Amino acid sequence: MEAAGIATVIVASRVFRAQLKMMHLPRVLLTPHVMGRPLGPPGNRNRHHEVLTAALTLLETASEAGTIVSLPGSYRP
Amino acid sequence: MTTSSPQPETLAEFKDSFSYGSRPDLNFKFLKHLPDQAAAEFFRLLLCKLGDALDDGDFSRLVDHVLEWQARGYAEAKQFAYADGPFTPLAKPLSEARMALISSSGHFVDGDDPEPLGIADMTQEMAMAKIMELIKAPPTLSAIPFDTPPQRLRVRHGGYDIHGAQADHNVVLPLDGLRHLQATGKIGALTDTAYSFMGVCAQTRLLKRNGPEWVSLLQAQQVDALLLVPV
Repeated sequence: MEAAGIATVIVASRVFRAQLKMMHLPRVLLTPHVMGRPLGPPGNRNRHHEVLTAALTLLETASEAGTIVSLPGSYRP
Repeated sequence: MTTSSPQPETLAEFKDSFSYGSRPDLNFKFLKHLPDQAAAEFFRLLLCKLGDALDDGDFSRLVDHVLEWQARGYAEAKQFAYADGPFTPLAKPLSEARMALISSSGHFVDGDDPEPLGIADMTQEMAMAKIMELIKAPPTLSAIPFDTPPQRLRVRHGGYDIHGAQADHNVVLPLDGLRHLQATGKIGALTDTAYSFMGVCAQTRLLKRNGPEWVSLLQAQQVDALLLVPV
């Protein structure tokens, strides 16, 4: 995608930090959320919005491949 | 004539049974990646924290415990390594950009079942049982309009626990959140549909065969930015 001119950002659970780091991906936002719920707990729209906003900020501000940002907080259903 | 009694289950067999074994539970399939003693420590601490929660009612420590040990488990899993990769700065302000979403969540719209392995109405249990066949099969990208009513969304995936995604697709397919950001002007435009596939496919095929096809699909829609959500 990047080679074709499409800027990408990945949102993933931090449980996959090791794998994602080794893949040297363009931009990765790691969330403190359990596997299968990377945006946050079901029904928590505020948390989903926080995650998406952080992802968009990363999309706009990252300057090199391999940029990994960790979102603070906890998974609280 | 002698009869042999069944061999007692070993700790290794027990921890592995959560990963597509006799006790399939995709929230805990990471246990298979842990050495036996580490898995034993996971259960010891789980019970310890559960005991503490019985007294103070704070079960959030159990959530944190699962998250911490999922991370430990997947840190032990097989990993793909790349020395570097391409990078493209966002070509225009986000408020003028067209954005797409691809999730490996396994969602599709009712009536548009991708029918993996040619099987109609494959259940979640079948997807878990056929995980090795699914890994070898080509993935199908399902188009999902951003305004799809939740009751028309279906999800099936042999690789992760889908209960959260069933309760609220936005935990892994953030249709509502992206629509809101587009409505408020933060994002210039969204593609007509989001996309989802069952991400249990072979990575090499995805990179060499499906990836280029999906790039062309997004280029045809003048996409500037892409949100990817792996599970």
